[in-house]
Amino acid sequence: MRRSSLEASTSERLAAIVAAAEQAASQVIDDAEAEGQRYLAEAREEADRLVAERLASLALLTDSLVAQAEMIRQQSERLLESLAQARAELQVDPSPQPLPSRGPHLSAVVPAEEPVEEQPAPSSNGARQNQAGARLLATQMAVSGSSREEIASRLRIGFEIDDCNAILDAILGPEDD
Amino acid sequence: MSLGLEETRALEERYLMHTYRRGPVDFVRGEGVLLWDAEGKEYLDFLAGISVCSVGHCHPAVVAVVTEQSARLMHVSNLFYTEPMARLAQRLSESSLGGRVFFANSGTEANECAIKVARKHAHERGITAPEIVSFEGEFHGRSYGALAATPGLAKNEALGPMLPGFRSVPRNDAAALRAAVGENTAAVLIEPIQGEAGVYPTSEEALLAAREACDQSGALLIFDEIQTGMGRTGSLWAYQQTPVRPDVMTAAKALGGGVPIGACITAPVAADVLQPGDHGSTFAAGPVATAAALAVLDIVDDPGLLRRVRELGAELREGLEALDRVRETRGRGLMIGIGLEEGIDAAALGADLLCRGLVVNVPAPGTVRLLPPLVVDSDQIAKAVGLIGDSLAAVA
Repeated sequence: MRRSSLEASTSERLAAIVAAAEQAASQVIDDAEAEGQRYLAEAREEADRLVAERLASLALLTDSLVAQAEMIRQQSERLLESLAQARAELQVDPSPQPLPSRGPHLSAVVPAEEPVEEQPAPSSNGARQNQAGARLLATQMAVSGSSREEIASRLRIGFEIDDCNAILDAILGPEDD
Repeated sequence: MSLGLEETRALEERYLMHTYRRGPVDFVRGEGVLLWDAEGKEYLDFLAGISVCSVGHCHPAVVAVVTEQSARLMHVSNLFYTEPMARLAQRLSESSLGGRVFFANSGTEANECAIKVARKHAHERGITAPEIVSFEGEFHGRSYGALAATPGLAKNEALGPMLPGFRSVPRNDAAALRAAVGENTAAVLIEPIQGEAGVYPTSEEALLAAREACDQSGALLIFDEIQTGMGRTGSLWAYQQTPVRPDVMTAAKALGGGVPIGACITAPVAADVLQPGDHGSTFAAGPVATAAALAVLDIVDDPGLLRRVRELGAELREGLEALDRVRETRGRGLMIGIGLEEGIDAAALGADLLCRGLVVNVPAPGTVRLLPPLVVDSDQIAKAVGLIGDSLAAVA
């Protein structure tokens, strides 16, 4: 009798312990699920934020690329116009003519020991070729990144063009006020 | 442990052909514009390995690319495709003449290719004895084709007979050039700035005459941009600061940042002249060299850096021209020749500067040539000008 009472008591205690353990486990699972949901929500939020940031950056980059492409297109058009004009000017008189004398200072360097040769008088073809050369020089310098001032300086020194605004405007666009 | 200068000199004396007169320095390390010898002495390098190390010694970006590429793939030959080769060709073409590229291992080889393009182009026009015209004072290399196009060296009869079909006219003599170009002319081959002669820019008048003569005769205009290219003059290519545009150009030196590579670049007019079997190279266009060149282009093809080259070049020339005993300065960007006053021994000046810790070059009597890395700064330029001033006072 005493033995069966002890067994019953033990059984009840065990049942209580199991029930408590199950309840605790259930609580842990619920907490873990809640925690997981929270992490998931935060991760989604962070991912959305990053995607939005990247999209904004890409949009800016795209705008910049489009602007650069447009600038290159405009420069290319100016280059083509300039080359076409230069070609037209060179084709006006195909007979070979000597270039005009532009003075010894036009050579970047004439070594002291070398005599400066007499040059023939300027011809209209030479003048046209000089003009075409000046345009090509200005165009190439512009495309390679030289500033308006640098190009103007080379045109003044190399081609004796004091007012080179017309050439520069045609290639670089009008100077800003 | 290094051998040290004396032992290295003894080995060189015994085992190398005596084709160079070397400065008495054993360099062991470089970084940016600086070099160090075996004794630990520091030098300011205003020669950059003759315009090769334009991005400075051991630029980290170039070192990283070379290290990575050489650990992955060094060589497969031109019988197969490699991506760096194709990407570099695209970049060189699109940054210049828009045609096709042939890769070589050096500037001389790039010029050999250009000469071959010119001759074949001429044969296609029915010319059986094509000629190539150049200006006196030019230097195009030391292999036989390039040598024949280098008037000063081609006169060395001990190396003869020279390759026929080359002629030269006085430097910057536009009239003589026009007269020399005729129905047999395959090409006019020009350095836009004569480097080895002592840094003499070819005059705009001469360049215009060359372009006109080529256009009238059907010949190709070839620019040797081996020394002037890759930003040295303040634009990626020197022709971009001239009134003409060549049909073919050659590049090397700074292209690989220290790794040997050359390139012959054409405009569309000459892009298809060479066909399979016409030309080739085992080593050229290798992935290490072409990857290095792409890294160098990433650094050099930068408007900010190129503008800085023009500004620093002007600053350097201004400083030099203020020195006593400097007759003139010549050049463009950071390619500068110093013309010394009569009676000053340029070789002695160069040797004295080396002792003072400044590396320069004396390409011709009375001339000092400066080719500093393009990453040089204002303080280093001021220091170099100061050293040259001190040395001029000492040796004069």
